[in-house]
Order: sequence, then structure tokens, then C-alpha cells
Amino acid sequence: MDRQRLIQIASAAAFLAVCAVAVLVVVSMAGGGSGGDTELEDVAVVGHELRGIPQRDTVLGDPEAKVKVVEYGDLQCPVCRQFSIETAPDLIDQAVRPGTASYELRQWTVLGPQSVDAARAALAAADQDRYWNYVELFYRNQGAEESGYVTDEFLTAIARGAGVPDIERWNRDRHAPGLKAVLERTDAEAGRLGLRGTPSFVVEGPGGRQTLSVPTFGDLEAAIDAVE
Amino acid sequence: MDGACAGGARNVATPQRIWTGFHERIATVRSMPAERVLRAIAGVLALVGIGVAAYITVVEAGGGSPQCLAGGHGCETVANSSYSHIAGVNVAVFGIVGYVLLALCALAPGDVSRIAGVAASMVGFGFSAYLTYLELFVIDAICQWCVASAVLMTLLLIVNGLRAFGYLGAELVSSPRPAHADEV
Repeated sequence: MDRQRLIQIASAAAFLAVCAVAVLVVVSMAGGGSGGDTELEDVAVVGHELRGIPQRDTVLGDPEAKVKVVEYGDLQCPVCRQFSIETAPDLIDQAVRPGTASYELRQWTVLGPQSVDAARAALAAADQDRYWNYVELFYRNQGAEESGYVTDEFLTAIARGAGVPDIERWNRDRHAPGLKAVLERTDAEAGRLGLRGTPSFVVEGPGGRQTLSVPTFGDLEAAIDAVE
Repeated sequence: MDGACAGGARNVATPQRIWTGFHERIATVRSMPAERVLRAIAGVLALVGIGVAAYITVVEAGGGSPQCLAGGHGCETVANSSYSHIAGVNVAVFGIVGYVLLALCALAPGDVSRIAGVAASMVGFGFSAYLTYLELFVIDAICQWCVASAVLMTLLLIVNGLRAFGYLGAELVSSPRPAHADEV
């Protein structure tokens, strides 16, 4: 074998290496952003939105913040989805991230059995501090109410996309009997507060408490200022 | 004057002159490591890489996620993202295959292993660069095990690149012969 031939072989090998990388990247991107076989939207958007904000259990932000914003929502509710996409980012960026308020979403399962399945899945993610990634990603991939899209496969895909560390543990936890009591407690609270539908909000601080239904960010901002 | 012109002519860098002159230079330029040293370094790096990729594969096969030694959820987030699998296969498995191939290239002498080593390193480096991009800009989480693998792949590309550039075709050069090329 002469030198020219060696150079040709080396060049061909380098070309094949570049092609191999291109194939790997294309195949990876084709499957990327999905949770297994289920295609998910906005995995990166949710990760970016929540990046650097502490979350513990169902609370996003500093749990010791003076003002507490508590939402009563249903993961199947399209208006909650709209709030999550259009208004929540402002609330998170301008009130939660700076530490002015904490933000809690309580699972008020008003729309049907699939809301309960979804709520259990989200609360199980809370045990691994990925609750907010779970609910935000769920809203961005929400289907039609009680249409049957809330399957084990879908819920697992959301868990993977949300970065739940231990999927097996999450899968066990979402069937835990104790979650039924959590959902019943939230339902009772909403009844006591006189809430009429999802999403409803309770904004509470040293200056008092306000209840809002489907608020704009301006409404929430004013309520936070009023009770701060 | 004539001597200066003649000297300039000798330095014209035609591809043929670069090729034939290279092995002459490595006989005298002490900074080029011996091929045996480069192969040893590549072998050690590949073995460490096998360890990293095997750890990730074994932990995930057991249903868990790799733990970031520095704390945080970066490793879990990356491992549980959909980008951690290609066609249903964990990327760490591709890593094991790649590092084993690189270890074999380090063990074997000759031009085939020199070319295969640099080609495999290029694939590993390119794919590691893509995965690092995903971590920084898509998944928004950093896994220190992935960073470790990317560093290993970068070092392997350098070492295998030096080996190929310095010693490819060394056996073809009968005189002068490369000072350090080993054919064990």
C-alpha cells in the first residue's frame, strides 16, 4: 500500500466519521423532545421557565415568602392551560423568581376520573421535587377533556419529560392510597372558600387575603401588592 | 545569496514534501511523543471512558439514574430526558461500544488502528459536542458524567489525531525510519 492510498483511506474514514455523527444527530433529534413513543411539546420551554427556582412539594419558589399565591386548578382544564401558558410565566418571573411570592398549585379535580389520574401523577412527581415541571409540561401537552388521552403511557412520558429522577418510584407513588385524602382535602378547602371553578386563586399575605377567578397578571399583581 | 534561495526552495510545503518530510521531522523533533506513549494514553482514556459509560448503563438498567457527585438533579434530568436514548437504546451503550473500539485501536499497532482510532474519536467527539449542546441549550441541565465523557472524547481525539498525523504510514518509510514508531 502506498502513501497516496493511505491518505485516501484516511480521508474516507474521516468522511464516514462525519457521516456517522450526522446520522446519530438526526436520529437523536427525531426522537428528541419526546417521552418514549409519546411526542411532547415544549420540554425545553418548561425547563427554561422553571430553571433556578426552588420547588418543594407542590410549592414553587421560596416557601417562606410573605405572600402566598395558591391556585386551585385541574390538569384537564383548558382555561387552566391557557393561564399556565399566557399568565403564569409573568407571575413566575416577576413575583416568584424574585421571592416576592410563593406559588402553589392544588389539584382540584373537578372534571372527571382522568383529572384524578393526572393529579395523582403530578403529586407523585412532587415527592421528587419535579411537581412544577410535571404540571407545566402536562398543560402544554393537554388533550381534550376526558377524551382518554390520560393513559399510563402519556403520564409516564410527561414524567420522563419533566425529569422525574426515579420513574419506578414515581409509578408506585401515584397509586398510593394517601393521595385520595389529599385530593379530598383540596376539594373540601375549595368548597369552604366558595370557589366556583378552575382556575381559582387565593392570594394571602400579612395584609389579608383575596380570592380571584381566572385572573390576569395585572389582577394578581394588584392582589399581591394589596396583601403584602 | 544563492544559498539562501536554495534554502527557501527546500522549505516549499508541497503535500508530497510534507508527507515525506514528516517522518524525518519526528525523528528529530523531540516534542512528538513516541507512538507507544500515545497508545498507552489512549488506552487509559478509553478504559476510563468504558467505566463512565458502564456506570451510567448499569444504573439506568436497574431503574435508577446516575448520581451527580457534586449534588443537584442534573444527572437525573439528563438521564431521564428523551435525548438519553437513540432508537430506544441508551446513549451510554453507544458510549461503551465507542470506548471499547477506541481501546482496541490503542492496543493494535499499524495503520488500520491509527485510521480507525482517529475516525472513532471523531465520531465520539462530534456526538459528545452535540450532547453537550443539548445539555446546555435544550435540556437545560448538566450531567457531570456526560461532561467527563466529553472531556475524555476530546482528549482521545487529540491523542489519536497526533498518533495518526505523526505515525500514519510509518512502516512505509524505510529511511530514515521514525525514531519512536513501535510495531509491537
